[in-house]
Amino acid sequence: MLRFVTTRVLRAILTIWIAVTITFFLLRLLPADPTLLVVEGDMTPEMQAALREQYGLDKPLLVQYALYLGELLRGNLGVSFRQLVPVSEVLLDRLPWTLLLAGSAFVLTILIGIPLGVYAAVGRGKVIDKLVQVFGITANALFVPSIAIMLLVVFGSNLGWFPIGQAIDPDTRGLAAYLSLLHHLALPLFSLVLVQLGPYALTLRTNMLEVLGEDYIKSARSRGLTPRRTIWRHALRNAMLPALTLMGLQLGTLIGGAVLTETVFAYPGVGRLIYESVRQLDYPMLQGAFVLLAITVVLANLVTDMVSMVLNPRIRTS
Amino acid sequence: MNNGTRRLRALTAVVTAGVLALTGCGLNEGNGSTESEGGSTASSAQATLRIGTTTDVENFNPLQSLSKTDSWILNAMYPHLLRIDENAEKVPEAATGYSYEEDGKAVVFALDERFQWTDGTPLTAEDVKFSAEAIMQYKLGNVAAKLTWVESVEVRDENTVVFHLSQPYAPFAEGVGFWMPIVPAHVFSEAGDLSTFANDADWVGAGAYVLDSMTRGQRYTLKANPNYPHAPEGGAAVGTVEYVVYPDVNTMILALRNGDIDLMGTPVPASAAASLEGADGISLETVGSLGFAHLTYNVTKGALADQAVRQALSMVVDTKSIIATILQGEGQPMVGPISPIFAQFDNTDLDAYPFDPEGARELLEKAGYSDGDGDGVLDGLSFEMVCDQSNANLTRVAEVVREDAAEAGIQINLACVERNTFLARTRGGEYEIDLSQWGVFDNPMDQLRSTYLSSNPGGINYNLVQDAELDALVNDAALTVDEKEFVGKIQAIDAYVHDQALLTPLYVENFRFAYRSDRFEGFAPSPSDLLGMVTGYSLAQVTPVD
Repeated sequence: MLRFVTTRVLRAILTIWIAVTITFFLLRLLPADPTLLVVEGDMTPEMQAALREQYGLDKPLLVQYALYLGELLRGNLGVSFRQLVPVSEVLLDRLPWTLLLAGSAFVLTILIGIPLGVYAAVGRGKVIDKLVQVFGITANALFVPSIAIMLLVVFGSNLGWFPIGQAIDPDTRGLAAYLSLLHHLALPLFSLVLVQLGPYALTLRTNMLEVLGEDYIKSARSRGLTPRRTIWRHALRNAMLPALTLMGLQLGTLIGGAVLTETVFAYPGVGRLIYESVRQLDYPMLQGAFVLLAITVVLANLVTDMVSMVLNPRIRTS
Repeated sequence: MNNGTRRLRALTAVVTAGVLALTGCGLNEGNGSTESEGGSTASSAQATLRIGTTTDVENFNPLQSLSKTDSWILNAMYPHLLRIDENAEKVPEAATGYSYEEDGKAVVFALDERFQWTDGTPLTAEDVKFSAEAIMQYKLGNVAAKLTWVESVEVRDENTVVFHLSQPYAPFAEGVGFWMPIVPAHVFSEAGDLSTFANDADWVGAGAYVLDSMTRGQRYTLKANPNYPHAPEGGAAVGTVEYVVYPDVNTMILALRNGDIDLMGTPVPASAAASLEGADGISLETVGSLGFAHLTYNVTKGALADQAVRQALSMVVDTKSIIATILQGEGQPMVGPISPIFAQFDNTDLDAYPFDPEGARELLEKAGYSDGDGDGVLDGLSFEMVCDQSNANLTRVAEVVREDAAEAGIQINLACVERNTFLARTRGGEYEIDLSQWGVFDNPMDQLRSTYLSSNPGGINYNLVQDAELDALVNDAALTVDEKEFVGKIQAIDAYVHDQALLTPLYVENFRFAYRSDRFEGFAPSPSDLLGMVTGYSLAQVTPVD
């Protein structure tokens, strides 16, 4: 078990290093120059040279990389090209919002996806099964920004049930602030859950169908266990394992979806920061955001692995 | 429930609680928000005007070059010597006027002594001198280029500042007066290196509104400056201006419809304007532009060096139809390179190139071009046209021009690419035809210097033209201080560039700004989306609807 944990942790560190390296070189290989975005017109060669020096872009690429890695190991993510403030400061401002949105979507998807998948499998061929399949396939094809705008138009503008964008009313305090937060969270959360839920429920349904045909399930039934106990205690436990792995992998998609969701809903998270920083080619900000997200996804997958290990005795003992 | 499920539920509960605790900790109580401690920005006015903006403030230091959305907020805080009125004319803001001495080599600004900073310190000539010298020292932003000829800045007295130039430059006062923000010397001189000064708290301004607090990612709150001298008698009726961030313009439109905001700072896209026309409580204000869309020909590339080819290309562009269909009528045609918004440089005597693809083909055949291989394209007349794909209007223009050019035997290959790639390509000269839109030219002289001088001082001579005659015309006009003579020389350059067909001007786009006319009225808009409805002066004139 110790070997399992050690291998996973080392693999996580390697993954983060690879993500950091790819991000660093990918940004610099873009056929664009961040200094050109600072002023439109009237950019003298001297001003451009001064900016390149200020941004540290005048040094050879490998030197820039070495300097960046050195600073990163010291926990310094650099200073934003455009905002002139430490990247870590901005990210810490934005991260809680993304954690709240993506974390809530992650949890809700599991809480709703499990019963949906289970009931579809148990009621195979029945109305519930067909509904889940149609929903799953449709949801899988949805495009986040389109759904987001549709939700805003229907529930925000036409019905007036939810606010149009933003994360909270900054004038509220205490309980009202928490209620405002939940009120603003509802639509972006719904749009993210909607697109995640389909694939998750379908995967769980397929796994459940496989598991329900296994001998040990039949054996459990023949021993007199109730169908309810057989399904929820024995079948689900085994059907959950691949679904858990899927959720770990889907976290990356969830974070990617958050970039679009946060932009449309004017939600002040890391996703929107990435959208804004791409437009400005703010390398330090983009690097910092991607490192942060890579760490988040890798850690979440690490946790998923650990949970799988707890649920699956074969992993524990191998 | 089995152990695994129980553990999973426990885990999700912990994650949810943790996230909520993280986000909710000190919810709305200083979390991510900054409040100014400096200055007295209190105002008796109660009205709050909410404006939609597309992005957070990137940089609060007005001396650095800034994004358009930054300038909406910072221009309201830090006054300029001159501002641009609704007719694109420069009129006094912090200066009461200017004059030239020493045959144009000394430019004298008289300051409006009523201006004072929000901490009670008067705005003086020392502040102007400090701002100009800081920009020159640190080479900050595009204003640095406008101060190229400044040898020294003299404080003649508390309210008079003199710029001594190495040579006369006709539009110096207008350019520097409009573009250079004035910062409080007593605050910024304490900030150390101004090229890295973030200026993100404790703001002291002298404009119509000054930042009071912000919640990054969401909202920026400005309070009216009770000492702003250009507000109506009794002070601005709008006491608080809030900028609310909506990165997606469709969401911003919904917020306006819903009454969450009162004004969209960004123009309404042509495709959405129709849906807002006639909407309850919403009005659209049409504002001109200080820039224009154009096709610019890289004369270093093959047949584009040939004047006849450039003229033929100008004849395959149907600007009237483009304005009618793509801009849905919200634009003005142009003839030469000087925009009709600068009425004093009237160039209506020039004959526009007619839209005539057949005539263009005849012109080319007369010039010796032929279709030797019978593929329908005149030999040597295949060009790549680059454009910024984020500009929906221009990508549509590109398609129209390509089809019309084919009729004249000219093949155009489109390369509409991502904006940053487009900028890198145009700066690197990697294009044959550049289809783009100038943002803001506040005066024709600066425009002509930047776009046509062989020395390419601003890096935007996208023709890459090296024309000694044109250089001489531009340099001569730049030295001319007499206004009438100056106008004549600018008109002559306009005619020369038009005849050379160095560019095909497409249109001056009208911007349409949407606002809640059931709540507010009295905006004083200025041309361009840089200024639009949201200048400090404009906001100070706004009154709530009873």
